[in-house]
Formats: sequence, structure tokens, C-alpha cells
Amino acid sequence: MKIILQKIEIQSRKGKELIDLTPQVERVVEESGVKEGLVNVLTMHTSSGIIVTEGLPCLEMDVLNHLDKLAPDQGNYYHNRYLEIDGRLGFNAGAHLRSIIGGIQVSFPIEGGHIVRGSRQRIYFAEYDGPLARTCCIQILGQ
Amino acid sequence: MIDFHTHPVLVREMVEKYRELQGVIREVFFIGNLLQPLETFHLQMDVAGIEKAVLLPIDCSTAKGCQIFSNEQIAELCQMSERFIGFASVDPHKPDALQGLERAVRELGLRGLKLSPPTQEFYPNDSQLAYPLYEKASELAIPILFHAGMSWEPQAKAKYGQPLHLEDVASDFPNLKIVIAHFAWPWVVEAAMLALKYPNVYIDTSCLYFDNPADFLAYVLKEQIPISLIERSLRHKIVFGSNYPRVEIKNMAEAIRRLGLTKGCLELIFRDNALRLLGEVSV
Repeated sequence: MKIILQKIEIQSRKGKELIDLTPQVERVVEESGVKEGLVNVLTMHTSSGIIVTEGLPCLEMDVLNHLDKLAPDQGNYYHNRYLEIDGRLGFNAGAHLRSIIGGIQVSFPIEGGHIVRGSRQRIYFAEYDGPLARTCCIQILGQ
Repeated sequence: MIDFHTHPVLVREMVEKYRELQGVIREVFFIGNLLQPLETFHLQMDVAGIEKAVLLPIDCSTAKGCQIFSNEQIAELCQMSERFIGFASVDPHKPDALQGLERAVRELGLRGLKLSPPTQEFYPNDSQLAYPLYEKASELAIPILFHAGMSWEPQAKAKYGQPLHLEDVASDFPNLKIVIAHFAWPWVVEAAMLALKYPNVYIDTSCLYFDNPADFLAYVLKEQIPISLIERSLRHKIVFGSNYPRVEIKNMAEAIRRLGLTKGCLELIFRDNALRLLGEVSV
């Protein structure tokens, strides 16, 4: 069985946005040579996420707006304080909570060298605290 | 729109090119090395509605044995982006400080001087040590931005950052434009007093020490002093500063916009006062 890990950098350009990773994930899968298996996509940051939804701008806005309602930026958070480990103020608890709610990884099967996904399903990187250069892992397991 | 207080300490292109900066930034400036491409700096400005940013180095060669970006490195960054306004820093303890400042301004094109008394370990009203620098800055017609108030740097003592030390400087150098950084927190009233009294004293807003930007700035500018003091008396004396990357520019800008100041006052804080300090518009 092959296990392939590729890290990709994503430059988010807004405070909050969904960035469609589907073409990049498909390309990594196809280049891997794996015909049957599984692909995992994982963000390496706790104030971002990986989600799956339909590829429509209206839905992208609805997803972000709904997560904002569930975990708004302004709140009575204990995280609103100086973080010695970073030398920075950590007042982005809302972004961390949105990451937990929306999730940080997704998996799809691979069959015949291609991702098996619904015709409407897109894989998004979800930026909750940008703009930042972010790193995602794409791991492929299979043969 | 200008951010008058940023540090380029996490710009990946520079920190990877000048490896010695990595330890300096972590150990002296005390910030995690979450390096970002220069593009992120620009995008942070875009999201906040900021067009230009003042880049601040600190030369603490004597006190800490390092430079948190050299003048040459700041000039190099300014060559990489016309959106940056570079300031110089020189070590007041070094005998060649005056020549260094003159070269930074006349040859490298830097537009102001950053001094951080707590990092550099000097009292700003030490006339023997620092007054020649102030004379040189006056001669060069550049502003000096002083760190004032609390510093997060572990070896930076607040005693050097008390804003009242700057009263002698403001009084003795009436033609020298002085910017008190971080609203001199916790000595906010003292900083406001100096800006109220001395025509050459300004304050930047880069102050965040707990809570979040909106709550903290509301506390400082609505409870420690009344917001009417800003709107009525100090609107020509306050410049927007974020202290990026300790704080994201967008969050500090939004916090200032939410204070309830008038549109005219915000335009002064975000643009006009900075342009006047930089000599781009007349007093």
C-alpha cells in the first residue's frame, strides 16, 4: 500500500472566505498513481477548516454567515488575552470555534485513480481568521 | 489611510534571507515565528482599508546585542513595496548614532526615527545621551516615534517608557515632532496631557494589552479618558497605529471605527495627521 503526504500552501485573501480546493486535491490524487484507496484533506491550523458543500457563491456566504452566528467574533471569551507562547494577543476565539464546528478534515474514496464524490460536492478550505498563508495536508492511502 | 505603527518581523522573505533575525525576533522582540509572505502583509492592509504602513525597526545593539531589523533591511523592504514608509532606528549608546541617522535619512530615504527606550535601556530625557539625536532629528525634519508604556519584551522595563520623561524633550525641542506610541498604556492620562499641552506631541493608537481590540480601546478611550477629549481637543494629535503583527491591522482599525468618533475625526486619525507628521501636508 502506498501512503503519500503532500502539503500545499494556500494564501487566503480575506478575513473569512471559502477557497475551493477540489482541483488541487484531484490533481494530487491523479499524480499519486493510486487507483484504489482513500484521500484525506486536513488543515494544519486551528482557526481554519475543511468543509464540503455545493459550489455556489450563495451557499459559500450562507455557510460563513451561519458559522458566524454560532461563533461570533465578538464574545465574552477567555481567549481574549495576551498569549505568552505567541507574543501576540489571542482574541480570535470565534475563529477557533468555527473551526471546531465546521471541522478540520474530510475523506473521500478513490476509485479508478479518481476521487469518488457527489456531482455537487466541492472540497473547501475555510478561512476564519485571514488573510494568511495557510498549509493543508493531502494524504493518500491506497494502491 | 496610513498605519503608523507596524513591525515587519514576520515577513518570510526577509527572515529567511537574514537568518540572524529568527532568534532576535523570538528572544528579544518576543513574538512567535509564524512567518508569512510579504503578500499577507499587503492583504492585511487591504482588508483593513489601509494604503500605507510605517515600518519600525529597533537598534538595541548595546542593550541587547542585536538589531530588530537594520535600517538597510527596512530600506530593502521599502524597495520591495511602495506601500511601506520606512523609519530608521539608531542606538543612542553608540558613538556613531548621529551619522547612522543622517545616512538612514539622506541615503536610504527613511522618513522618521523609532526609539524604544525600554528595549534600548535609556531614559528619553537623558540630555547627554539622547539630546544630540533629537537635535539631528530636528535638523533632518523627521518625527521620532517613542515606544511608551508597557512592553511585552521580557527584558524591557516600563520605567524607561513612562511618558512624563518625554515632557523635557517636547519642551526642549519644540520643532521636533514626537509620537508617543501605544497611548503609553497604562499612563494614558499622562500621554493625553502631553498631547494636549505640547503642539509637537502626538499619540498613536497601537494599544492592546488585554481583552480584544474593541473592548480594550473602548476602555482606554472612553473610560481612562473621555472620548470627547479625542473628538474635541486631540483630533489633530492622534494617529492610527496597529502594532501589527502583535495585533491584526483589521481588528485595530475596526475597533477605532467603532468608537463613535465623527467621520471627520476618523479621517484625521487614519490619514491627515500621519501625513502632517511625515511632512506631506503643512501644519
